[in-house]
Amino acid sequence: MEVSVLMPAPFADATAPLVAAFNREHRDLQIAVTRGPLDTEALSDLAISSLLLGDTPYDLLLMDVTWTPKYAAAGWLEPLEPLLGDDALTGMAPGAQLGNAFGGHLWRLPLLADMGLIYWRTDLMDAPPRSLQELATTAADLRRRDVVTWGFVWQGRQYEGLSCVFLEVLRDFGGHWLQPGDDRQADLDSPEAIAAAGWLAGLVRSGVTPAAVANVSESESLQIFGAGEAAFMRNWPYAWAELQKPGSAVAGRVGVVSLGDGTQGSWGFSMLRGSAHPQQAAAVMRWFTSEPSSRDLAERFGYTPVWQSLLNDPQLQERLPLLPVLRQALERTALRPLTPLYAQLSDVLQRQLSGLITGSGTPQAAMAEAQRQSTLILQAAGPAA
Amino acid sequence: MTLLLLLPALALVLGVFLWPLLRYGWLSLQASSVLTGLVPMPNGGANWQRLLADARFWQDAAQTLRFAGLSLALELLLGLGLALLLHRPLPRRGLVRALVLLPWALPTTVMALGWRWILNDPFGPLNGLLQSLGLPAYGFLSQPASTWLFTVLADVWKTTPFVALLLLAGLQAIPSELEEALRLEGAGPWQRLRRLTLPLLAPYLLLTALFRLAQALGVFDLIQVLTGGGPASSTESLALYAYLNAMRFLDFGYAATLMLGMFALVLGLSALVLLTQALRRRLAEVTP
Amino acid sequence: MPIALPLLAALIWSLLPLLWQLLTSLRTPEALVLQGPAAWLQGWTLANYRQVLQGDPPFWRYLFNSCLVGAASTGLTLLLAIPAAYGLQRQRPALRGGISLLLLAAAMFPYVLLFLALLELARALGWGNQLLALALPYAGLSLPLAVLLLRAAFADLPAELEDAARLEGLNLWQRLHRVLLPLLAPAVASTAILVFLFSWNEYPIALTWISRNDMLTLPVAMARIAGSSVYAVPYGAFAAATVLGGLPLLALVLVFQRQIVSGLTQGAVKG
Repeated sequence: MEVSVLMPAPFADATAPLVAAFNREHRDLQIAVTRGPLDTEALSDLAISSLLLGDTPYDLLLMDVTWTPKYAAAGWLEPLEPLLGDDALTGMAPGAQLGNAFGGHLWRLPLLADMGLIYWRTDLMDAPPRSLQELATTAADLRRRDVVTWGFVWQGRQYEGLSCVFLEVLRDFGGHWLQPGDDRQADLDSPEAIAAAGWLAGLVRSGVTPAAVANVSESESLQIFGAGEAAFMRNWPYAWAELQKPGSAVAGRVGVVSLGDGTQGSWGFSMLRGSAHPQQAAAVMRWFTSEPSSRDLAERFGYTPVWQSLLNDPQLQERLPLLPVLRQALERTALRPLTPLYAQLSDVLQRQLSGLITGSGTPQAAMAEAQRQSTLILQAAGPAA
Repeated sequence: MTLLLLLPALALVLGVFLWPLLRYGWLSLQASSVLTGLVPMPNGGANWQRLLADARFWQDAAQTLRFAGLSLALELLLGLGLALLLHRPLPRRGLVRALVLLPWALPTTVMALGWRWILNDPFGPLNGLLQSLGLPAYGFLSQPASTWLFTVLADVWKTTPFVALLLLAGLQAIPSELEEALRLEGAGPWQRLRRLTLPLLAPYLLLTALFRLAQALGVFDLIQVLTGGGPASSTESLALYAYLNAMRFLDFGYAATLMLGMFALVLGLSALVLLTQALRRRLAEVTP
Repeated sequence: MPIALPLLAALIWSLLPLLWQLLTSLRTPEALVLQGPAAWLQGWTLANYRQVLQGDPPFWRYLFNSCLVGAASTGLTLLLAIPAAYGLQRQRPALRGGISLLLLAAAMFPYVLLFLALLELARALGWGNQLLALALPYAGLSLPLAVLLLRAAFADLPAELEDAARLEGLNLWQRLHRVLLPLLAPAVASTAILVFLFSWNEYPIALTWISRNDMLTLPVAMARIAGSSVYAVPYGAFAAATVLGGLPLLALVLVFQRQIVSGLTQGAVKG
């Protein structure tokens, strides 16, 4: 019997030794991993076209946190609590538990946690900033003294990464994407949201952030920061290992800090409806996300474990100096709106923010427009959504 | 009897072109999205009302037209020049033609990536050139006012050889005796171009223009890979918007409506081009 | 007018971006972000080619897929287009004109519009992830132009030729096969190349019909390595893939450029 799994390429590569070991130990149950594209949106396109084509060849799909409600609403996923029980998430860090259940069902079991972090240059300052405001001041000061070309790079291309960056700033300013307590109402024209948007645009206008950020995704920001051209970078945990590689211009000169609520970007397994052997698929899912597997992935690839026990493990901490930062970051993460309409909401927001950071319009006008369009989208869903 | 020979081809053509349009017509009158669990449910003309009020549709339509208009103009101009050049006796003509045609033969997505790197800010070669001249780096792909020009550049680079090829075929159909006769009359190269070549090339130019116009209005892969529609949606094309609605938002009813809206636009524009041509011809007949 | 200058400009315009790709493909990721003339002394590598060729699946797999789909689409298109073009040429002028006009309209259709309905069709017929099934929409999309090109070529043949063959007792198939087709070779060749290049370049349909990694065609595989990959910018690897993907095309165009041009001349837009 074979359970087939679609994953983005890096995860398929990282889990390959584990899967090989599993397949050696189990004669009657084999795991077949399909190596999907690197890029998140390309993987989503691939998964969706394979689902639209019908008779999907996969039992399990490794999904980004924002896809779950959309896939569930489309009727593509199997609820997991009948297979895994109601306590499948018990023992995970609070920040990693978010975003797996929707509409009264559990749809997803997280494999690894991911959240926005701030990377800083230990050779340019003595201590990391304690807030985003302080970061901006330090960055501006370093630029003024001509110590570094750019102050702060982040993901400003018109794509999902921009929404992630904005959400962190928004939380820092005390704002919310959807109104707390009523997730059918957007809250993007609040004074806090306007201030957050204005702050991001101000970074570009003042030159702390290069104007090129408007076409920068994770990889380009890593390229700029990795070349030693910036004092700070906002990125995910993976960047740390990349920056330590031989040949990196900043190896050994990088620190990481979590300022406020990082956007939650975890990856997890969902089961596709129509899987021929759900029991076995559930067992595979459990095994992938078990503590021993998580420990192995953490030790060899630095993947952030979701289990509290591993986050607190002193042995693991020796091998992963980043672990305390990650544990602290996972105390509180910022979740993007859990709705099947998330892609539209994020698209509307990206559009306005992209306009703003490329210098057109005011934060007030941009956020008012984002609010108006988000309201239209959420209204279409009706009260039942 | 000979009509039978046509049937298999016509059947396939109708299946590929007509069936989708009928299907979109039906889908555009349905709500079919994540909110209906992907099950189509009639919703009157709600999709069409939404289309007419959708500022983004009209903005993308304007941007697509802007892109197609400039691309087409540049491609015809450069393509004509290239065709005239390739029509002349050249050393190693076969090799030259093959090299010049190469951009057209490479898949769009492949070179779109190449352009993304060439236009990279600050590490791309174009910015390297600017910096070595002592100029500041330029955000080729991060300026809402100008980024679309670089999508045009990438399109013109790729498609000009194809336009040149079609026009070259037209040039070769012009009997060389006519050109010789004009030359004997003492007409210079410019006059020969205006009085002989362009008039005889006109049907080829028109056809090439129509062909390219429709393809440029459908621009999709180039934009998706080069800019993803950004910055600030300033390069988003109608086809990309329709794709987003279908594959990212899973709103098939509205995606179908967008496609039909785009089809109407292409049809209208082609009719306009043909009409102006017909009018001009009529005018030429009336005024001796 | 001296011809060397515009010729040089045309060649530079066409080739410079490609040469830059070639250069990029030979550089390490670190060398790509170095600045100044000193940067050129170091950072040369073949690792990008190794990476692309040893990928999973290896790059030649995509090349093979694209060639297979291209060949199948071209074969199917010609198989349907040659009889259709002959049949069209033999119709009464009114009907011929009508059908030609419809085909012309279809040839000018921005086909990207069709992908959603074609995706549904693939689902209904179970054609998803079947490489050869891609040949059907590709042939359908290429047929209008192919029939028009070949029809014009048939029209250029003297009518007496076929009459003479008929008097000798040759049936329709024999007349086509032995008499007419050999004369049409250039037009067939140029049509074949146009169809092949179309399917070689096609993106939206391949993107939505194929979801299995080992069945991707070149354009989709390239776009898929792309996007905003999270792990370091693989510009060098893209460039290597571009070079590898471009070489067969260069060879093709080099060998067939005469046919491409002369076939179109035979009557691209006549009638």
